[in-house]
Amino acid sequence: MLAKYVARRFLASILVVLGVTAITLALMKTTSGSYVPGIDLNPSLRPEDIARLRADLGLDRPGWEWYATWIWGVLHGDFGHSMIDGSTVWSHVADRLPNTIELTGTAILIGVLIAIPVGVIGALRHGTKTDHTMTVVSVAGFAVPQFWMGLILILIFSVTLEQHGLPWLPSSGAYSAVNGGDFFDRLEHLILPATVLSFFYISTWSRFIRSSMLEVLSQDYIRTARAKGMSERRVVYLHGLRNALIPLITLIGLELPGLVSGGLVVEVVFGWPGIGKLAFERALQYDYTTVMGVTFFATLLVIAGNLLADVLYGVLDPRIRYG
Amino acid sequence: MIGPSRVAELEMPGAAVETAAGRPAQSYWNESWERLRHNPIGMMAGVLILIFALIAILAPAFSAVITHFQPQSIDLSATFRPPGATHLIGTDELGRDTLTRLIWGGRVTLGVAFLTVGIALTVGTATGMAAGYYGGWIDDLLMRFVDTVLAIPAIFLFILMSILIHPTPITLAAIIASVGWGSVARLVRGEVLSVKQRDFILATRSIGARDFRMMFRHLLPNVLPVLIVAASLGVGQIILIEAALDFLGLGIQPPTPSWGNMLTNAESYFYHSAWLVYFPGIMIFVTVLASNVFGNAIRDAFDPRLKT
Amino acid sequence: MSRDEDAADKGFAQFEKFLDEWSRRDFLKRSGGAAAYMAFAGGVMEFLQACAGNGNSNNTTAAKKGGHVVEGNFSDIRTLNSMLSSDTASNQVIGLMFDGLTNQKKDGTVIPALAESWKTSSDGLTYTFKLRSGLKFSDGQPITADDVKFTYALAYDPAYKDFASPRRGDLSKYVASIDTPDAQTVVLKTTQVYAPFLAAHGQYGILPKHVLGSMDAKTLNTAAYNTAPTVTNGPFKFVSWEKGQQVTMARNDNYWAGPPYLDQWIYKVLPDSVAVTNQLKTGEIDIGPIDPGQFDALTGVSTVVRTEFPVPTFTFYAYQLDPAKPAGPLFQDKAVRQALLYALDRQSMIQAIYFGHGQVANSPEPPTSWAYKAKPQVLYTFDKAKAASMLDAAGWAKGPDGIRAKNGQKLKFSMITNAGNKQRESLLTVMQQAWHDIGVEATPSLIQFPQLVSQIVDIRTFDVFLVGFNWSVDPDESALFHSRNTAPGGFNGFDFKNDQVDSILDQAIGTLDQTKRKQLYGQFQDIMSDVVPAPILFFNTGIWGVNSRVQNTDFGPFNQYQFRPWLKNVWVTDGK
Repeated sequence: MLAKYVARRFLASILVVLGVTAITLALMKTTSGSYVPGIDLNPSLRPEDIARLRADLGLDRPGWEWYATWIWGVLHGDFGHSMIDGSTVWSHVADRLPNTIELTGTAILIGVLIAIPVGVIGALRHGTKTDHTMTVVSVAGFAVPQFWMGLILILIFSVTLEQHGLPWLPSSGAYSAVNGGDFFDRLEHLILPATVLSFFYISTWSRFIRSSMLEVLSQDYIRTARAKGMSERRVVYLHGLRNALIPLITLIGLELPGLVSGGLVVEVVFGWPGIGKLAFERALQYDYTTVMGVTFFATLLVIAGNLLADVLYGVLDPRIRYG
Repeated sequence: MIGPSRVAELEMPGAAVETAAGRPAQSYWNESWERLRHNPIGMMAGVLILIFALIAILAPAFSAVITHFQPQSIDLSATFRPPGATHLIGTDELGRDTLTRLIWGGRVTLGVAFLTVGIALTVGTATGMAAGYYGGWIDDLLMRFVDTVLAIPAIFLFILMSILIHPTPITLAAIIASVGWGSVARLVRGEVLSVKQRDFILATRSIGARDFRMMFRHLLPNVLPVLIVAASLGVGQIILIEAALDFLGLGIQPPTPSWGNMLTNAESYFYHSAWLVYFPGIMIFVTVLASNVFGNAIRDAFDPRLKT
Repeated sequence: MSRDEDAADKGFAQFEKFLDEWSRRDFLKRSGGAAAYMAFAGGVMEFLQACAGNGNSNNTTAAKKGGHVVEGNFSDIRTLNSMLSSDTASNQVIGLMFDGLTNQKKDGTVIPALAESWKTSSDGLTYTFKLRSGLKFSDGQPITADDVKFTYALAYDPAYKDFASPRRGDLSKYVASIDTPDAQTVVLKTTQVYAPFLAAHGQYGILPKHVLGSMDAKTLNTAAYNTAPTVTNGPFKFVSWEKGQQVTMARNDNYWAGPPYLDQWIYKVLPDSVAVTNQLKTGEIDIGPIDPGQFDALTGVSTVVRTEFPVPTFTFYAYQLDPAKPAGPLFQDKAVRQALLYALDRQSMIQAIYFGHGQVANSPEPPTSWAYKAKPQVLYTFDKAKAASMLDAAGWAKGPDGIRAKNGQKLKFSMITNAGNKQRESLLTVMQQAWHDIGVEATPSLIQFPQLVSQIVDIRTFDVFLVGFNWSVDPDESALFHSRNTAPGGFNGFDFKNDQVDSILDQAIGTLDQTKRKQLYGQFQDIMSDVVPAPILFFNTGIWGVNSRVQNTDFGPFNQYQFRPWLKNVWVTDGK
């Protein structure tokens, strides 16, 4: 029955991908007016140049025809060329997606490493001042706009440290301009943006772990373990934490959809060459092919994440039937 | 005695149970309110939001009576004044009074936040309830639609709708809500699904109660706690989204002030006029913090596992 | 007084003060003498540096070989093919890797590059270029006239009509033929006398025929070479393009002027102007353009030297002149257009919004141009009273709501500009206030840049738009003001049609006689100052920050992004 459900969802997913990409294209065409991608206010451009460019890019063709051609290409693995720079869309995606995953992955790691202790302490001391304080502290990090947090951190850890002759962190890019690229260089560049991004995860997950722990600790088997004389520490960590963390896996999986847009602001602030920044810039420039390509992959991620979530919900809560 | 009123009592989960200590039975809502009251920090957060909302609503009165400035009146001879007697928090790059703009900006930001939450909750709840209650092909159709909406990377939707519909506070609320209602729908549907299976619902259905009555009178109150928590947390989230959109150039456009665009605008002046950055930043921080703390406090209050 | 002169004055003052001190000092006190010497040396260096603006322009005696320069800017490149690029970032990086027939000095004078000399025929239709001998591409292959012909053919030759060059319009209109009588000579014939030709089209990076010649037009459009040029002919050659991050370039040992001192030049993509400031401070970048608002943030930073100079970049707003459009009737009367300009205190606007880094424009021609007329027929100094009385005289009387009206139509309109540009947003706000004060209701509206371009070029339902523009070295301004560009797709989106101006502009590009042209442009500026269809608010200044370790850069009005004939002489003091 689960298999039937997954199969149904798979078919539905194809419709969703088509729907999303079609809506994106429709929105772009409706709002673009007569704008030709890549045209700046350049006095040396003549009207006939602009018109020719429009024809070359196929912008005069009806939307559905352009869309059909695009789908045909996608089915053959050809995502076309960017309308702005002529590079293949695939090369853009392949270049940037790993950077985004690196950034988001590190942020998730930091999030988990900090959320767990904060959540556990909150649970063990629930209702006390410590609990309330930890709550406030854990959500405080995400209570400021990400771009502001980023700019403040740059100011402190990049500019101010450097001006005082102390070791400092770089403020943009994924690696150093010159002789960069090795592990430590990338790590240096990763610290600030990943930290900013992690605050969101910390604030959400620490709360979740806290309530999850509380729920687990109130279970009968915990009481049994205590009654059997097991040390408090073993009770909490061995049994309690382990079971409380299982749903966390689900939560981490749910972050899959947010991969593209989640880190966008951080990518823009730190000049991180990721796929979110690419999508944002190209959408504003009406680079149809690139935007469609990124939308396609982003949608796939969202669908995968949703499917994962629903399946796991079903596994966790057997009352929900999939008829 | 099984009569109509008795059945109503039975609907509330965890309610109307006489404890061994002989405490009078309290309804779920009263219990939750008690728990909330005993959370001073949570209560403070709630009150704070209320105060900000009040100030925002009364913004015109404030600028007339307290600051004597209009948010849009510029004065090129008084740019970048630090906090002082005439301008309590100084002036910005065009000589506008920062305090006045902060108050009016709060009006815009909080207005967008509350309106967005309102729209998203209304649309999302309706959809989620219908999907969860009816099930079958209605559920499939609605949820696939929700999936599609949720699958579009939010940022594209924001960019493209920002261009399609010029972002004023009201249209911006609609745009952000158009992305947010999906998660509310899923949330509500999930709650409805788990509640649907409970015995009392099956019992009520077997008595033959009509659909709408079912949804409105019986399901909705059970879903309400989740909605209230979502609303409170949502206000904070929307404020941050609005600030992010302002940063990207897609939100409230100058010269209309909002906390987000005041913050964005002031970044490059940080070196010499830091107060322009601090004040909108602090307002956002405090409000979002309060909304998060209050939201969590409510969630704890509604959680029957935590008996006081 | 430019900031350079300011600095020079300070340097000199310090030197003088030092001499005073020294003469009073006991010459025999050794410690004092040593200190005096150090101070003297420091003072002299500062003085020299201040005078030269940015390190000695021609200090090559102490030049060290090796090292790198990191340059930052806001946009990523789009293409590295000189015949495909139309945006600043791409042109900038192409300029680092490719030379054309000619280059430009910082004052705009055209100077030889790959061509060592050229002659213009007496009828002005034929340009004969003589290439230098021994020219080589970075792979050692010779650069010949065939390569030049091939490069231009991509844009004007019908055989390459599928090649998506943005230059095709201009080049196919003006190039009649290109012949190569021998390997060193290129004979280019134009279809008509076109004065801007050399300055506008002489500098395209010459592409290698031996690499690209075998491809057809369609293949060329998406060739890998366009984003990874394997063979170049400029001071630097291509190493890699990490999308969204940077372009890395290395020294080209086969460069015609000799190999550069530097090993590497890197073009780095930065998020915004604050990042430029931050990274100039930390040294993450060596060179970057400085936003006027960020200028003061770099005061007192000893490692960064700032240069500033007037540039032909400007901000202007345009009135809707098409009577068929809603706001058209409002602006038909010249008096209204002039009055609105008189009401603007442009000097204050420069002071408040550009922090003093700009110059009120009295003419559409930039002050840097040889055709500039400083005092045209009408000068618009700020005069609110005059503006109000002109509107009164034109029949626009103030209504009970304070807004002027005439024949039932209110003097009320909207102004658009692009979102995300803080200065333009502020300008609209200030203009709104200024016009409100004289009874005119103007409402600002911010839209995204593509929508703004569409409005100007095509849709044209605006009332007033505000935007920035950039002239090249030639004073021809047909792109904005000639009536033929009112056709859809042209930039004369405000429908300005003036026969006199058309004729002057056409005459001026039809002769190579600079004296005659100057006289014609003088007339042009007089007329424009009177009819003001699209008043230019001001011309900006270009501000660049260069790390003090980088020597021999020489930025100027026409040596900013694309044209940098001094690249090969740049060296870094720490050799790193």
